[in-house]
Amino acid sequence: MLNTYELLDAMTGIEAETVWETGELLGYAQPRPRGTAARRFGRTALIAAVIAALMGLTALAVGMSIHQRRQQELRRDLAIDRSAVGSYTEYPVPAEETAPVEGVTLLSTINDGDFQKIFMNVSPVTEEELKLFPGGLSFTWGIDGSERGGFAAPALPSDLSVSGDEIYPAVRQYSYDPDTRTLTIVAHADSAFLAEAMGGKDSVPLCISMWEGDRLLRSFGPVDFTPTEAEKRVFDFGGLRYFDAELDKEIELVALELTPISAVWRVRYEGDAEFHRERNQEKLNEWGRMEDRVCEAVIRFADGSEFCTGGAMTVPYENGTVNLHCAWGRAIDINAVTDITLGDLTLWEAGA
Amino acid sequence: MEDTRIIDLYWQRSDRAIAETDRKYGRYCHRVAFNCCANHEDAEECVSDTWLQAWNRMPDARPRVLPAYLAAITRGLAINRYRAQRRRKRGGGELPLALEELSDCIPSDADPARAVERKELARAVAAFVAALSEEERRVFVARYWYFAPVEEIARRMDFSASKTKSMLHRMRGRLRDKLTEEGLC
Repeated sequence: MLNTYELLDAMTGIEAETVWETGELLGYAQPRPRGTAARRFGRTALIAAVIAALMGLTALAVGMSIHQRRQQELRRDLAIDRSAVGSYTEYPVPAEETAPVEGVTLLSTINDGDFQKIFMNVSPVTEEELKLFPGGLSFTWGIDGSERGGFAAPALPSDLSVSGDEIYPAVRQYSYDPDTRTLTIVAHADSAFLAEAMGGKDSVPLCISMWEGDRLLRSFGPVDFTPTEAEKRVFDFGGLRYFDAELDKEIELVALELTPISAVWRVRYEGDAEFHRERNQEKLNEWGRMEDRVCEAVIRFADGSEFCTGGAMTVPYENGTVNLHCAWGRAIDINAVTDITLGDLTLWEAGA
Repeated sequence: MEDTRIIDLYWQRSDRAIAETDRKYGRYCHRVAFNCCANHEDAEECVSDTWLQAWNRMPDARPRVLPAYLAAITRGLAINRYRAQRRRKRGGGELPLALEELSDCIPSDADPARAVERKELARAVAAFVAALSEEERRVFVARYWYFAPVEEIARRMDFSASKTKSMLHRMRGRLRDKLTEEGLC
């Protein structure tokens, strides 16, 4: 017999848009904060550009080993040369096209302050196994002899955004080499964790595992991994205050810590410590819009180009400031910054 | 942060996904849970469990509307919690009242032997809601999806409480007729 709980369960069939819009009407959900969509390129145009760039690279890469080809693609994709990135390290790899590739081969790493982004080739990964990705196949990294580590994922071009059914074809196209059954993956390793694991040594033994659900399919490695140093530039704003008329809020800008692929905006506002300590979601959402506004500040470079860090990924309250952690894929030249502005307010200017 | 970026974080198995989800939708899901549980502590636990379930489900799922996806998880968890509490003679909030009202939709002569396909029922309810006027739809979803108090719905819709109650009463009658007509109860 139909009971009221079954009827309640059946309500889950109601259109998601209707549910969300009603939540907004009831005031349960804050209006979505102004996003960063306007700053983004059209997705189609972007994918086309990436494909064109990679096709050019493939043509140039004939005769190289899969490791060298991937290193070149990564350098280009991450804009390492154009942005003169000092915190990027490439590891020696076999050069011959026919070089054996089984196991794990370190390609490169870049340090964003909090994390080491480690690029590796793993082989063999069969096409049948790869077809299980992303639903049934996953990768983890770990320090040999310890149980600690994290997840790794196929490395896709930094500005490529794919979802659902688009994921597997993109991985097949950009991260996989069927001839050598090699998959290029990326792991994000916490810098502090690595430092602890090294325990005074120069390197750690890094292992990769490939899983089908909970079943271990294969282990790769270990291979000795040496982290690279962080490259950071700090812009001190001396406590400048920015007032946003639309939001009717004022925020104090303390500093910006910039690495080629990440940033931390340090800000303060009235009640910040209390809101974070008490996890006052209403206030945090309210101020979240102002924080997003800060992340829309424009960073200009000597060549006339501009950049925005985009919305923060995490916002911890630490050491007396709210820290807006932002990250992106393609490196910027942190030594070529000429000025930083937020609306009409100049936060920093070279030579001033 | 945009929802698509948050979903990407889940897919990349980044623990930042949970922090960012909590920041953006913590309050929303808390409210969904609170309407069921009427207890901030229970609601907070439902929200924490929601993040865990989202983390476990997300590599397979790619939600079209992230907040509705999260809220549906929260709502399911909160209802389960309510049922467990009810078994222990506890509970409260708007859910008991909503349940009592919804019992109007189930004819008293329903055949106990008839098995109801959940999917069919969900489809029928979704079709019923889709066919309502916009005002009716908002009121129905606010009451029976979110378990919002009648007075709150009335205030938000700028209706009187009696008009809201009367709308709900009429809609329950129509839903009962529809379910009976389709042989679902």
